[in-house]
Amino acid sequence: MAVPGHRLDRMFNPKVVAVVGDKGPNYMWLQNNMPFKERGGTLYSVQLDPKEIEGIEALGVKNVTSMADITEEIDYAVVAVPRQVSHYVLKDLIANKAHGAGFFTSGFAETGEELGIKLQDTLVAAAKEANFNLVGPNCMGLYLPKAGVRFNADAPVRTDGTIGFLSQSGTHGIMFSLVSAANGLYVSRCASFGNAVVLDVSDYLEYLALDDETEVIGMYVEGVKDGRKFFETLKMATARKPVVVWKGGQTAAGARATMSHTGSLAAPQSIWDGMVRQCGAIATNNLDETLDVMKLLTFGKRPKGPRMALLAQTGGQSVSITDAFAKAGLSVPRFSDETYAELGTFFNIVGGSYQNPLDMAGTIQGSMDTLDRILRLLDADPNVDAMAMELSAMFAARQWKKNPESLDKTIDEIATHMARSNKSFVVVLHPAHEAEYVAQIAPKFHARRIPLYQSFERAAAAVARVRAVG
Amino acid sequence: MTFQSVLAQARAEGRTLLNEVEAKELLREAGVPATAATLATSRDQAQSQADAMGYPVVLKVVSQDIAHKSDVGGVKLNLQDRAAVGEAFDAIMTSAKAAEPNARIAGVSVQQMAKQGTEVIVGMTTDPQFGPVLMFGLGGIMVEVLKDVSFRLVPLEAKDADQMISEIKGKPILDGVRGQPPSDLAALRNTILKVSEFVQKHPEVRELDLNPVFAYPDGALAVDARIVVSEA
Repeated sequence: MAVPGHRLDRMFNPKVVAVVGDKGPNYMWLQNNMPFKERGGTLYSVQLDPKEIEGIEALGVKNVTSMADITEEIDYAVVAVPRQVSHYVLKDLIANKAHGAGFFTSGFAETGEELGIKLQDTLVAAAKEANFNLVGPNCMGLYLPKAGVRFNADAPVRTDGTIGFLSQSGTHGIMFSLVSAANGLYVSRCASFGNAVVLDVSDYLEYLALDDETEVIGMYVEGVKDGRKFFETLKMATARKPVVVWKGGQTAAGARATMSHTGSLAAPQSIWDGMVRQCGAIATNNLDETLDVMKLLTFGKRPKGPRMALLAQTGGQSVSITDAFAKAGLSVPRFSDETYAELGTFFNIVGGSYQNPLDMAGTIQGSMDTLDRILRLLDADPNVDAMAMELSAMFAARQWKKNPESLDKTIDEIATHMARSNKSFVVVLHPAHEAEYVAQIAPKFHARRIPLYQSFERAAAAVARVRAVG
Repeated sequence: MTFQSVLAQARAEGRTLLNEVEAKELLREAGVPATAATLATSRDQAQSQADAMGYPVVLKVVSQDIAHKSDVGGVKLNLQDRAAVGEAFDAIMTSAKAAEPNARIAGVSVQQMAKQGTEVIVGMTTDPQFGPVLMFGLGGIMVEVLKDVSFRLVPLEAKDADQMISEIKGKPILDGVRGQPPSDLAALRNTILKVSEFVQKHPEVRELDLNPVFAYPDGALAVDARIVVSEA
């Protein structure tokens, strides 16, 4: 649901959307937002160039040459006009009593040149005076998959997303949305907010924290305007739901790059790191780490402690999975005596072992009953907080291809275990020599909400990061 | 001595730096464990203060213009009697004036010689974006060369102080190495939390350094302190 009364609520739940200044031949912004129209939203185009109007109307979109012709209040506008006229468009939006707008227009303070800084100052002064919700400028704006408002034509339109994402970079916002969807993780609301001169990350974060359609929040941020406000908002948000913070510009060279990208000044990284941990948020360093953590938080359960049960298919992988999880700061304890006594009755120790890790291919031999027996034992073991299990494309892909039902049964067994167990569970399936095939079958795992990882290290890092915030 | 009166005094003198005597007095009143120090402006005063305090004592130069007291011969440790205090006073005045002829010297601070503990640092700085931030680290090269420090924003909760202590790489030193007993982590946590309270209560504080704090198996004690306040 929405957050009634919040200043961003109308903008985040739009019924009337206007695209200002879109151009052919592609009409990118109108094309992005056709799903909004198809879902019954009122979509306007504002374009006074007669050369463009025919193409816009061919899309079935009503074009007006002056914003004054729109008599309804606009909930959200996408502004893609040259920077010199952006403040005139803002004036028109304010006159319309519009609730907010994403300014795709760039060339402001991030350029470091006098004209850009001056134009930005004009825009900011007008927006602040009118208390106008200006997203950006220099951004891709909002992605609201439920409403059909999008910042990219490949971004899915769905109603079941639970992940909120905030990004100071348009690329990272779009890429996260696309890559997460490819991993079966869907966005509830996303904002790409660029220079963040009127609304800052804290404003959007507050909304997502209060929005009960959003269960997990991630963000890419290069710098914040008001550090204290961010600190307070982040603390409030983590008390409600997990928050993952990917900081851009962590090195001196990277921090220089953020200056020209979004005009952000970075606090010393060590202070930033302490602040994130103090707030109980999870720090990540790149897209993959962010996605990996979000996957565990969305699909899996949070580990209640650091003690891992590790299940590998072979001896070599038993060593590797153990090193990976131990290096990530997790522990690999002995199982309870009861577990060992029970495993001893059926575990095949010729070419296998059952200390922890379990080297288990020789014992399971494709039997789901045996796998089920092992999973139940570990689930009941008081020395185990969380489990990681390897599946081997190298050994199993041939069999799975020949007999797809055997793969389905394995997935079904894992999903059944995850549903009955309270312990965190992750699966590692390295692509090995079957990258194309593994990419093909990964959605089967995601559809059953199994947190699937391509390497021991990525799985271990995700578990350790989530574990660290308790 | 109240914070406001010290602040008024410093501002009247055009200072933003509170001297060691002032800083320690304010911190002790705020519950931060620190050695008591008194200001002596003459040889006789230094001797009578030392007599009253009990030996051994330490003398340090007090000057708003001298940041690194030992570099100018401004620190004399482990003085065992009245005669040693008199000689130390003269030596400090002579060498400090020789090293920094233009420095304004208010006198020397007299304090009891604390027994050596594991050296840690508790500091505070004002970040332009985040405001007051506390820093914790082990003393000496661990901070200066290895930058092995942790940061948290004021105000801190107990868990924040505990995390600050546990996340430095040098933490095993506090746990006790080579047969040394472990340091009193609860006392360190208390020191950090009291500093956080002090800073929160007094927004005029821009910087603060307790360097070093001696961590003992039982307790902790700041043996040097400086505070920088904002300009009026």
